[in-house]
Amino acid sequence: MKEFTYTIEDPNGMHARPAGKLATYAKQFDADIRVHAGEKESDGKRLLALMSLGATCGTELHFIISGSDEEAACEQLERFCRESWGRGE
Amino acid sequence: MNTADIKNEKSVRYHGVGISNGCVSGPLRFFRQRRKMGRIRACGDQREERARFEQALLRTREQLDTLQRRAIREIGKKEAEIFEIHAMMLEDEDFLEAVQGALDDGACAETAVERAAEKHAQALRSLGDPYLSARAEDLHDVATQLLRQLSGERPDGDLSTEREPYILVADDLSPSETVTMEKSMILGFVTFGGTPNSHTSILARAMGIPALVGVGAVSEDCDGAYALLDAAEGTLTVSPDAEERCAFEEKQREVNDLAREHDRYLRSLINKPAITRSGRKILIYANVGEGREIAQALLNGADGVGLLRSEFLYLSMDRYPTEDELFASYHDVVQSMQGKRIVIRTLDIGADKQIPYFALPQEENPALGFRGVRICLAREEIFKTQLRAILRASAYGNVSVMVPMIVSEDEVRACRVILNECMEELEREGKKFDHGIEFGIMIETPAAAIMSDEIAREVDFFSVGTNDLTQYTLAADRQNPLVERICEENREPILRLIEMAAEAIHRHDGWIGICGELAADLHLTQRFIDLGIDELSVSVPYLLGVREKVTECK
Repeated sequence: MKEFTYTIEDPNGMHARPAGKLATYAKQFDADIRVHAGEKESDGKRLLALMSLGATCGTELHFIISGSDEEAACEQLERFCRESWGRGE
Repeated sequence: MNTADIKNEKSVRYHGVGISNGCVSGPLRFFRQRRKMGRIRACGDQREERARFEQALLRTREQLDTLQRRAIREIGKKEAEIFEIHAMMLEDEDFLEAVQGALDDGACAETAVERAAEKHAQALRSLGDPYLSARAEDLHDVATQLLRQLSGERPDGDLSTEREPYILVADDLSPSETVTMEKSMILGFVTFGGTPNSHTSILARAMGIPALVGVGAVSEDCDGAYALLDAAEGTLTVSPDAEERCAFEEKQREVNDLAREHDRYLRSLINKPAITRSGRKILIYANVGEGREIAQALLNGADGVGLLRSEFLYLSMDRYPTEDELFASYHDVVQSMQGKRIVIRTLDIGADKQIPYFALPQEENPALGFRGVRICLAREEIFKTQLRAILRASAYGNVSVMVPMIVSEDEVRACRVILNECMEELEREGKKFDHGIEFGIMIETPAAAIMSDEIAREVDFFSVGTNDLTQYTLAADRQNPLVERICEENREPILRLIEMAAEAIHRHDGWIGICGELAADLHLTQRFIDLGIDELSVSVPYLLGVREKVTECK
């Protein structure tokens, strides 16, 4: 199992575009990807579920990844969060 | 904001949130939507309902792709992303599971879709975030499209037959409704619901059209009434009296003078050639996908059409169009050009841009597969039919013909041979055509750029398709979020290939244009001019901006 946390810096929070990109990234991997935000939890590969987390700017997201390609998945997702989220929005 | 002040017996004033400043006046036209298709069918057996749903899902997916392509062309890449989100919502596992669950409970496909959409829309609305609440509407838009597919109904509330410009009034507009609307007639938008984050607002902003959202209900009695829309004040005055009209007109002059100063400056460029400060003339052409966009292109000062995507007739039919049908449609297009040059690109389809009756095989890797000129050379009869139609249309204007997806001079020669055969046939049959018709190719593979010196001997012009050239040069698909940055951050290799092609074609006294998305990138305009580009072809909304930029370049 791999995990990391990321605090949302995008003023718009977990809105449709990043949620869509996050789900697209996550879907490339076999590993099970869970995203926790406070008490809520979502499958990282599902757009509507991610949006329903209601995560806003400042919310801490906790990613828990487990499966055969967890290493790569963790690295990619973390990089996406830190480098691309909200870029050009 | 749900107030309507009764000013006197006639005039009524509504308040809302103004989007993109500006003052417009004109008749109100109500766009009537039927959100609920809700004709609950007697339910077939579950297997049948499931099959109906699957079929509707497939069709809706195709429709979203079409809408996205159209939005990219007409509004902009970023605004078009919403349709990608819609596609993801459509295929979201939770949504599909909810549909499945309802079907298992014995619901018909329509009810299942409505229940599933409402369940998730409710979840998004309950978060209390205005942005996510707006996305609940997106989910309803997706559901409405599914329901339309299920019922086979066409979208209603069609205002496409309106002859005079009007202020559009609607409950709220969905992205699909906004994109399919004929925008040239719309002076402004008024929506009962909607927020500054809703699509009507986003699109109004992108198109620079004044809008008023969240006005509450406007009485249907106002349909057709003359009204004043002041987006800066956030007011709509229906049936104004003489005094109000007078005051508005004065304000309109002030606000619009300012807002339109730049616009007017741009408009002043329309009939002037785009000449750089050092005196070089650059042709500004338009990319168009169907005939009716040409009028818009010419109104926005296009010097010609640099890319006519000739697929439109093929796409609208369920069999191969005949030569006469093709000729009739190209003839109309050519005539509407008022003598200006129009470059018609021959069929550019492939496994990623399917036309069902072509019955192309599914491919592992369509971008590198059987597409464009490869299909035309393999299925010569299709190619000849189209070339003959284009040649016949060339008698009525200034037509150039252009072939996509070239990789070698052999392909170019093969095309040339077929074109010559078509000319000889038409000559024998006594049919008119332009004997000096220009013949060119797209530069969209690295091979074509590298071999451009040899290829240039065979053609009159090149047109660079930067979208494909980028993806083939960098081995990166722009649609793939994992690699899109590679495309954005590596312009230099593309520019060097363009430079090779430009030098080659100029050595052979031809001309070169750019018709891909990069042509509209104002950061690159100076560079393109330095490389010797003669023509930039962009979609209609970018025409004036590029023209302005060229006049500022060295």
